[in-house]
Amino acid sequence: MDYVFKILPPMLEGSIVTLQLFFLTLALALPLGIILALARMSKFKPLNVFMQFYTWVFRGTPLLLQLFFVYFGLMIVGHRVEPFTAASIAFVFNYSAYLAEVFRAGIQSIDKGQYEAADVLGLTRVQTMTKIILPQMFKRVIPPLSNEVINLIKDTALVYAIAISELLRAAKNAAVRDDTFVPFIVAACFYLIMTAVIQLFFKWLENKYDYYR
Amino acid sequence: MYMLQATDIYKNFGLLQVLKGVSLQVNKGEVIAIIGPSGSGKSTFLRCLNRLESVNQGKIEIEGEIMVENGENCKAVYNNEKVIAEMRRKMGMVFQNFNLFPHKSVLENIMMAPVLVQKSEEEQSEKTALALLEKVGLSDKANNYPFELSGGQQQRVAIARALAMNPEIMCFDEPTSALDPELTGEVLQVMKDLAMEHMTMIVVTHEIGFAREVANRVIFMDDGLIVEQGAAQEVLLSPRHERTKAFLSKVLMAR
Repeated sequence: MDYVFKILPPMLEGSIVTLQLFFLTLALALPLGIILALARMSKFKPLNVFMQFYTWVFRGTPLLLQLFFVYFGLMIVGHRVEPFTAASIAFVFNYSAYLAEVFRAGIQSIDKGQYEAADVLGLTRVQTMTKIILPQMFKRVIPPLSNEVINLIKDTALVYAIAISELLRAAKNAAVRDDTFVPFIVAACFYLIMTAVIQLFFKWLENKYDYYR
Repeated sequence: MYMLQATDIYKNFGLLQVLKGVSLQVNKGEVIAIIGPSGSGKSTFLRCLNRLESVNQGKIEIEGEIMVENGENCKAVYNNEKVIAEMRRKMGMVFQNFNLFPHKSVLENIMMAPVLVQKSEEEQSEKTALALLEKVGLSDKANNYPFELSGGQQQRVAIARALAMNPEIMCFDEPTSALDPELTGEVLQVMKDLAMEHMTMIVVTHEIGFAREVANRVIFMDDGLIVEQGAAQEVLLSPRHERTKAFLSKVLMAR
């Protein structure tokens, strides 16, 4: 038990990096995902095709590979970026591609009668989206969204590969140094606590939106 | 001047011709019932009148202003968006499936367009909304959500929502077709009240009884054309056309 307390500080530090990446990715990828979803549904053909390509590339290759592409790729062309910056870029691109598909499914599940009702009442397209469609979309995508968010917290472990001192790396360092398995168990507990919090949050969100059907 | 005038409207969905030259003039205060078998084009025609569908050919005028007319090579050309938006503001629309906004309360549903589109003061819109709710007999439901209401109540809210924009013409697209039979009465009653107040109404309906009682004019459509039209009594009680007779005997038999 004493040992656990001893490795706790570096692991907490690692979790902070993990959480920073997590929140930064969410803060950028959520709005970007909505914009990309709208772009994907655009009647403007080139935009639509570009978005299909974007989704194909970012869903079709491993996130780890994308991470290497951004980090080492930028380095090769002469831009040395901080590993954390590279990780953020790769994560935002990757997750916005997934989230865009979640949002698109949500938007397309809204009955076309809602658009027609807004239309005959004279609402503009922007008002229709922001007041009628997106609020209803949001309720519907809560379950798939919670999936993506839980995936994200676990995927942050991938940045281990470009030498960022996040939670998993902190555990690995301690495990190698002290020749023990305990840090991995502690790391597992950390991830489980974080996913539990996320789950609780989404449960709360679902309840909050339960006021209508 | 006619309140609304549609001339020679053609509409097709791909290869399917839905409207094959439909013309209609509507006077102020007139209540018009459009009846006909499903697939006859009556709903499509109504939807063309308020620009939910685009016509391929023909002319639509509202209070003398042109919404759409034939340009060169007889293709329909629409007026600019602003003018059309202004025209559509004169038309209220009630749908078969109500299309209330499920995430908004009854009151918010009714207030939304006045506040967002007409930029009315919130307080004033709320007063108007409550008055309209009283009119449709749902004062006690202001703070409920649509899913908590019966179909008939939802449709009455939808009517109140359309009325909140102060339309000059009310269009109804089979307003009672999605309702349980015992709930149609309350909706038809609200529509009757509107007719009594001389609201101009165009009603696509299967309710022959309502058409007979309330409509000034009944229009029978079949296969994308107006087959017969005239005073309600005339068309419904002594139809001239074989197809009208056949249709009426079928729907009246079903009762």
